Amino acid sequence: MRRYEVFLKKDGRDEFRHAGSLDAPDDELALVLARESYARRAEGDRLWLVDREHVILGDPEFISPNADKPHRHNDGKAIAEHRRNVREGGS
Amino acid sequence: MGRTWTSMDDFEAFLDGGGIVEVDDDMPDAYRQAVFAFIEMHANSELMGGLTERDWIPRTPGLRHKMAVLAKTQDEIGHAHLLYMVGADMDIKTRREIIEDLFAGRSKFHNVFHYQAKTWGDQVAISFLVDAAALASQQAVFKNCSYGPYRRILKRIISEEGFHMRMGEERMLRIADGTEVQRTMFQQSLDDWWWPSLQLFGPDSKPGDVLLRWHIKSERNEVLRARWVQKFVPLLMSYGFSVPDPGLTHDPATDSWTSGPIDWEPLKRTMAMRGPDSARRIADAAANWADTHWVRRVLDNAPARAAGVAA
Repeated sequence: MRRYEVFLKKDGRDEFRHAGSLDAPDDELALVLARESYARRAEGDRLWLVDREHVILGDPEFISPNADKPHRHNDGKAIAEHRRNVREGGS
Repeated sequence: MGRTWTSMDDFEAFLDGGGIVEVDDDMPDAYRQAVFAFIEMHANSELMGGLTERDWIPRTPGLRHKMAVLAKTQDEIGHAHLLYMVGADMDIKTRREIIEDLFAGRSKFHNVFHYQAKTWGDQVAISFLVDAAALASQQAVFKNCSYGPYRRILKRIISEEGFHMRMGEERMLRIADGTEVQRTMFQQSLDDWWWPSLQLFGPDSKPGDVLLRWHIKSERNEVLRARWVQKFVPLLMSYGFSVPDPGLTHDPATDSWTSGPIDWEPLKRTMAMRGPDSARRIADAAANWADTHWVRRVLDNAPARAAGVAA
């Protein structure tokens, strides 16, 4: 038995999303089980099945430091304040 | 891999802050055990419920409802399957160990599946009252569940339980509009299933309930139970049925219904595998498991195939 991770995407509007996992002896049966377990009501039109052993995990310590970089965002506050000042007759 | 916490206080502060635990996090063992036991009981209940549902496929009246019961059977077995995957990933028992413990009577499943559905009226009462009670419990877990894999899989399960409940209500409407024989049959089913359905929520939550403290459940048992009573009493009465609770009270000022004293002995008996139908249910499921051994043997011994085979 191998353990697979199931990803589904619908209609081109959304990205592929993780749906869950399943055990199957081979890829062909894994596809059948994925459809019967996760897409009985047309929850997707495209499917990715990945052998769990092939999933490369990012360590949270490696991924999360990027939560700390406000210079990569712009919340628009400075512009909004300037516009409000102009509207209210300031400069 | 995953996150670690220095102490239980540290971990609980993370949960209180809305933190979501993932399978590869180094969660405290008590949390792992509690979450696993909760998922295991949910999964077992889905499987036992699915097996009852299956028994009713040949006896369901009308093609439309027969097909719906067929679909519901697949849903319930499917839910068990999804939950067993989530449970097995917690590294406490393998999926097979969970199932074998269930069929050996060593682990729990919901009280309602320890009773026998004798008539079609019972099936309608189950798909209406029991499914609504189960759905309310699951929604209260989904709302604020701190264990990520369980929370995500609940989303799918809840959407499908919603179909079952609506199908149950549709069947009840048909019976309510039916002949006197049908209405009498359904009243008998309500009399038999009202209390087990209500007891599904369990006794009042204890002050130190870890499931509440660790954000597995988001509502106390008694709150969910009272809400269910408030919903179903007026609904059943509006269709001319009665609720078998002599202690039931109505407060006209707030238009609220409160159930009378609840006898918890029947619930305790089911949890000890001594419910009216516990032995037959488990034996039936175990016999089925034994009969299908050859399928598992074939799958276990199947040679690995090349990747990328399109169905």
